[in-house]
Amino acid sequence: MRNGFLFFIGLFCAAALSWAGVVLWPHLQMGSLVPYVDETEGKAYPLRLSGIAAQGQMVYDDLGCAACHTQQVRRPGFGSDKERGWGDRQTVARDYIYETHVQLGDSRLGPDLANVGGRKTPYDAEDLYKLLYAGSGAMPAYKFLFEQRSIADRQPSDYALALRGNLAPAPGTEVVPTMRARALVTYLLSLNHTFEYPEARPVEPTAENEGEAK
Amino acid sequence: MSAMTSASTEVSEIDSSARGPISLLLAFALVWLVVSGALALLHFAQTLNPAFLADCAWLTYGRLRGLQETAFVYGWAGNAGVAIAVWLLGRLGGAALRSLNWLTVGALFWNLGVLLGLIGIARGDGSSTPFLRVPEYVQLLLLVAYAAMAIPGILAWTGRGRAQTFAAQWYAVAALFLFPWFFAAAQIVLVHFPVRGVVQAIGAVWYAQSLWNLWLASLALAAAYYLVPKLTGRVLPGYDFAAYGFWTLILVGGWIGGRHLVGGPVPAWVATIGIVSCQVLVFHYLIVAINLRGAFTGRGSTALSLVAYGVTAYLLGGLVDAVVSLRAIAVTTQFTWVTQAQTALALYGAFSLIAFGVIYFLVPRIANQPWPSAPLVRAHYAAALLGTGGLVLGLAVAGVIQGRGLLEAGLSFADIAARTRPWILVAAAGQAVLLAGNLVFLFHFARLLVKKPAVTAAELLRQPPTMEASVS
Repeated sequence: MRNGFLFFIGLFCAAALSWAGVVLWPHLQMGSLVPYVDETEGKAYPLRLSGIAAQGQMVYDDLGCAACHTQQVRRPGFGSDKERGWGDRQTVARDYIYETHVQLGDSRLGPDLANVGGRKTPYDAEDLYKLLYAGSGAMPAYKFLFEQRSIADRQPSDYALALRGNLAPAPGTEVVPTMRARALVTYLLSLNHTFEYPEARPVEPTAENEGEAK
Repeated sequence: MSAMTSASTEVSEIDSSARGPISLLLAFALVWLVVSGALALLHFAQTLNPAFLADCAWLTYGRLRGLQETAFVYGWAGNAGVAIAVWLLGRLGGAALRSLNWLTVGALFWNLGVLLGLIGIARGDGSSTPFLRVPEYVQLLLLVAYAAMAIPGILAWTGRGRAQTFAAQWYAVAALFLFPWFFAAAQIVLVHFPVRGVVQAIGAVWYAQSLWNLWLASLALAAAYYLVPKLTGRVLPGYDFAAYGFWTLILVGGWIGGRHLVGGPVPAWVATIGIVSCQVLVFHYLIVAINLRGAFTGRGSTALSLVAYGVTAYLLGGLVDAVVSLRAIAVTTQFTWVTQAQTALALYGAFSLIAFGVIYFLVPRIANQPWPSAPLVRAHYAAALLGTGGLVLGLAVAGVIQGRGLLEAGLSFADIAARTRPWILVAAAGQAVLLAGNLVFLFHFARLLVKKPAVTAAELLRQPPTMEASVS
């Protein structure tokens, strides 16, 4: 290492090599993935996010929802993702091509959300608003995404939450989701990776691939 | 303090010339360390009681995680790491550091950047990309400020007095030179011209892994490779192999991030190459273990003892990585507290303990006076070891329980949280002990800086700078 110039070249090349191998290569492999056109339905999947859902993804990103929720389903047989009802197939690269900021997440303190909009027992907007407003056992309430306001001299909002019991707002007031809450809920409901791409057909664990699937 | 009174004490112009800028960096570093500790404690409080501070939009669970991580990595580790690297490059270069104004100016802007970054994350301008959560508008500032801070270190390397070089220098130069490289590359592919779909996730794990292996681990190793021969007074065993260990880390370090994406929506080879690289890197850990084994035999020096524990954490972390990356294990531990335990082992165990050790060694030399109080040193030492141990152990056990719970499809998240709760409490207690210890450290450092030097040990203990090289 007496030759300082060669040393710097070596460092530079080592870093460049890992960048090329880990980032550039997958980019060349997957960076130009195109939607899959389903001839029978006449639609191309995945569907693009609507404008408000794209805003919702920004809310999801900046609130740090990914600290507790992943958005990736592992293949049946690898973990219990399918048994927990998070999705019948594994998520594949094509599912994410339209997402401006992919939120795979690395921690599961709460359920996976990759298919939250397409579950068999679907959440509707009302459920998600209530969950965000009141929280649940392990999830904090995000009350700052809602506005409590008087309805003394105005028409009640169409979006007002129907809250009962001890959550019900004081008489003469209503709880209305803010624009951010509405964007977030629209985004969550748009998460639905159930279309079966050719590359996403589930591999059911059999006797032969049991060992590999572990 | 014992490190002070050991035979290796000496002070040269190299140290006194760097006094101002290095003290400044270390002061910033310790303040951020305490800030991140406090934020981490709040984060644990929210884990245990989700309703805690839930109404405060600035401190949601996700943002708190980003805040404490950013304060730790860019605040504490960035400042302390650069201070250590520049200082030891000066010493090993054998000449007074030049262009130190760049270090001072760079440090001011870097810390301004960290502060703005934290405010940005709290306000909601940041992102969820691990280790790259600072808002876009701060990233360029951090990049330029870092480049300015690295200048004196690189000049000390290129203008060094002798042709021969040492392992400590390689690691330090690599860390100073490579961080801007992959920081910029990550900004381009993730922020300015985001790549499509899941390639973003691959880029994010590549960045996080490079950040650890090529920056923080390299800085810690530079310090360890400098301090161990220095404090034991012996030549490193198997030193001829150090270069292989170094190049293995530099070549393979960036490749292992893909292991986090096992089972994810990426081509299987991305994860496989990460797992294989993890196993290859065991070669690097083996060489580090052989080279630095002297750290475990030395006695009596707090600095050496901290470095020994840090090296242990580093080696342990490498082996745990190699095991946990395997698919059969990852299926359970992925997405659990085990990942956090590994991060804590690396950041709090390996990096921080080694950095504490070297700070205890270098501050008396640049400030030209001993640490004021031996009990405070011992208190911090005990808190650092106990706190790190509790934090890592608590998170690891909680992670295994959580991972097993996740595999039982019928078990609800509330039940899993209830099962992991005792161990999260252990981790939180460890974090609290760490915070208390680091407060003591900050107080002690501040006292040393404001205290008028009673003993100027420099004149008595001056030795020629060539001394630096003779033992490493």
